[in-house]
Amino acid sequence: MGNLRMENIYLPDLALIDRIVDETSDTKTFTLHLADAAKNRRFRFKSGQFVEATVFGVGEAPFGFASNPHSPRQFDITVRAVGAVTHAMHVLKPGDYLGIRGPLGNNFPLDEVTGQDILFIAGGIGLPPLKSLIDPMLDRRAEFGQFIILYGARTPADRVYKPLLQEWRNRGDIQFLQTVDTPDAEWKDHVGVVTTLFEKVKLDIKRTVAFTCGPPIMIRFVIQDLLTMGFAEDRIISTLERYMKCGVGKCGHCAIGHKYICVDGPVFSYRQIKRLPER
Amino acid sequence: MQASAKVTVAKHDFLEGLGRCMKETTVIAPVKMKDGEVTFEPVRTAKQITFDYVNDHDPLKRFFMPAREELFSFQNARGKALLKSPPLPKPRVLFGIRSCDLQGLAHLDHFFQGAFEDQLYLQRRKSTLIISLACNEPLDTCFCICCNGGPFLESGFDLQLTDLGESFLVDIGSRAGRKFLDDWKVPCQTAKRKDEQLRQALMHKCDEKMIPTAYLAKACIQITNNRVREEVWDEMGAECFSCGGCTHVCPCCSCFDVFDCTEGETGQGTRYRCWDSCQYSGFTREASGHNPRAKAKERVKRRFYHKLSYAYIQQDGHPGCVGCGRCITVCEAFQQLDVPAVVKRLRRDG
Repeated sequence: MGNLRMENIYLPDLALIDRIVDETSDTKTFTLHLADAAKNRRFRFKSGQFVEATVFGVGEAPFGFASNPHSPRQFDITVRAVGAVTHAMHVLKPGDYLGIRGPLGNNFPLDEVTGQDILFIAGGIGLPPLKSLIDPMLDRRAEFGQFIILYGARTPADRVYKPLLQEWRNRGDIQFLQTVDTPDAEWKDHVGVVTTLFEKVKLDIKRTVAFTCGPPIMIRFVIQDLLTMGFAEDRIISTLERYMKCGVGKCGHCAIGHKYICVDGPVFSYRQIKRLPER
Repeated sequence: MQASAKVTVAKHDFLEGLGRCMKETTVIAPVKMKDGEVTFEPVRTAKQITFDYVNDHDPLKRFFMPAREELFSFQNARGKALLKSPPLPKPRVLFGIRSCDLQGLAHLDHFFQGAFEDQLYLQRRKSTLIISLACNEPLDTCFCICCNGGPFLESGFDLQLTDLGESFLVDIGSRAGRKFLDDWKVPCQTAKRKDEQLRQALMHKCDEKMIPTAYLAKACIQITNNRVREEVWDEMGAECFSCGGCTHVCPCCSCFDVFDCTEGETGQGTRYRCWDSCQYSGFTREASGHNPRAKAKERVKRRFYHKLSYAYIQQDGHPGCVGCGRCITVCEAFQQLDVPAVVKRLRRDG
C-alpha cells in the first residue's frame, strides 16, 4: 500500500533553528534552514511570500519571510507571541526544529519597479515582510531613484531590528525616518503616528511606488493620505492579512470576496484591494 | 462501447452483479435503519440495500471529505520529528448517490484541484466507482432544477441508473462503469427508444413537483452588484443562530479547521482537519482578537456571496448550490435562511 507522502500538500518539512534574536519584549526573529540538505539547496522564495510554521502538537501559523531572498540557505521569520503557536515558538531554542511549508503566496513587484522612487511605510511588526523587499532593493540601490523608509512603532522598545535601523539611519543614500507614539527619556526622534512623517519628506508622486504594511488601522490612514497626495491606486502596494489555516487555498478562512489571501495574496495593490467586496 | 452508451438491465440482475462485487470490494449503499431513517454505509449483501429513500440527511461528501480526517501523524523525537501521511484509500463503490450530491462532488472536484491539489480528497474520488440513481420523485424540499443539480445528470457518474419499474436504464459514463458491468457479469440489453422516452416522461413529472420559486438569477445579480440593501442583511443576521448547520449539510461547502491532537506526553500525535463553518463567529477571528466578520449579518452575507456571486460562479464553474434542499431541513432560523428562502427574499427586495 502506497502513501500520500510525496503529494500531501499539508505535510511540512522539518526546519532547524540556527539562531534566535530577541527583537522586543514579545517578538523574536528565528533564522532557519530546512533539515533535508537537498531540499534546503533547492529552497527559493521571493519577497512578500510566507511560510506556514508548525510546532508539532500545538499547531501551525503563517509568517512572512523577513530576510533577503538572496541570502543563501537560510531564512528569517519574525514572530510576535500572540496565540498558542507563537507562544510555543517563543520557548524554542537554537537546535530545536519546526515544521515548515512553503514558500506560499504571491510576491512584491521588484524588477517591475526599477527606475522608480521607492517609499516604504511600515508600522510595528509590519516591517519584517517589507524587509524581505528592502534588503534585495538595497543590494541593487543604483537601480532605484529616491529611497525612503518611514517606520512607526508604539514605543522605542517596540521597534524591531534596532541595529539595522541604526544602519539605515547612517546610510547616506537612503532616507530613514522613524517615529513612536509614546517616547521614552532617551528618544530624540519623531513622535506621532507614522503618517505625520509624510510632511518631512519630499516626494515626486508621479514616479514613486509606495509599499505599506502594518496594523489594519494604520494601513487605512496611510492609504488615505497617499491617495490625497495624488498616488495612483496601482502604485500603492500593501499586504492583506486574515486568520489563515491551510495556506494553500482550501480551508476557506482567509477568503475575502472570491480572493484567497494565501494564494491570490498576500500582496495586493490598492486598486485590487478596492475591488474586494469586503475590506 | 461509447462512453455515453445506454443499456437496460433487469433490477434483480443488477443487484446480483452488485452482490458479486461486494465479495471483493467495499460497496457503500443506502440502508434503512431500525428507526426508519435511511443512511449510506458499507453493506455486505445486496439485500441490505433500500430503494425507499430520496436522500440521506447528511450529504455524501462525507465519504470523500470526512467530518474529521487525518492530515498526517507525527512523533516528536530528539532533534527531529518523524512524519507520516495517511495511507492511500482502497477501491470502493458508492451505489445510489443522488444527482444533487454527485453534482456537489463535481463542485468539490474542481475546488480541490487548482494550483494546489488536495490528494487526500482526490485520491478518494479516484478510487471510488460512482453508481448514481436519478430521481423520479422529489422531496418537497428539492429544487435541483433551479441549480443544474438534477434530477438526471449528463456526466460525472460511472453508471447512472434510472428506475423504469422492472428494470434500470443505465447510462454508462466511463470505461470504469463499462468494466463494472463486464467484471460482475451484469446482463445488459441495448436501450430502446421507448426506454429513453419513458425516462423523459419521468423527468418531466419530477420537474413539475419541484419547488418552483428558487430561481437563482436575480439573487445572483443583486449579490454580484452589491445591490442588496444593508437592512436586508441586518434582518437575516438577526435571524441567524450561527449554528453552521446549513454549511455542514451543503454538498458544495468544504471549509475546514486544522488542529493537532497529542497522546499524553509521548510526543506522538496527529494533525487533523474537521469541517468548519463560515457561519461560526470564530471562523475569521485572529489571534489578536480582531475579527473582520464579527457580526452574524456579515457571515450570512459571506455565505451567499460564496454561493451566488458571479465572481465565484465564474471561478467554480457552478453556483455553490445543487438544490438538494438540506439547508431547508436543518435551518433553525424558522426556515428563513435556506437558499430558496433567501433567493426569494432577495428577488422580492427590488
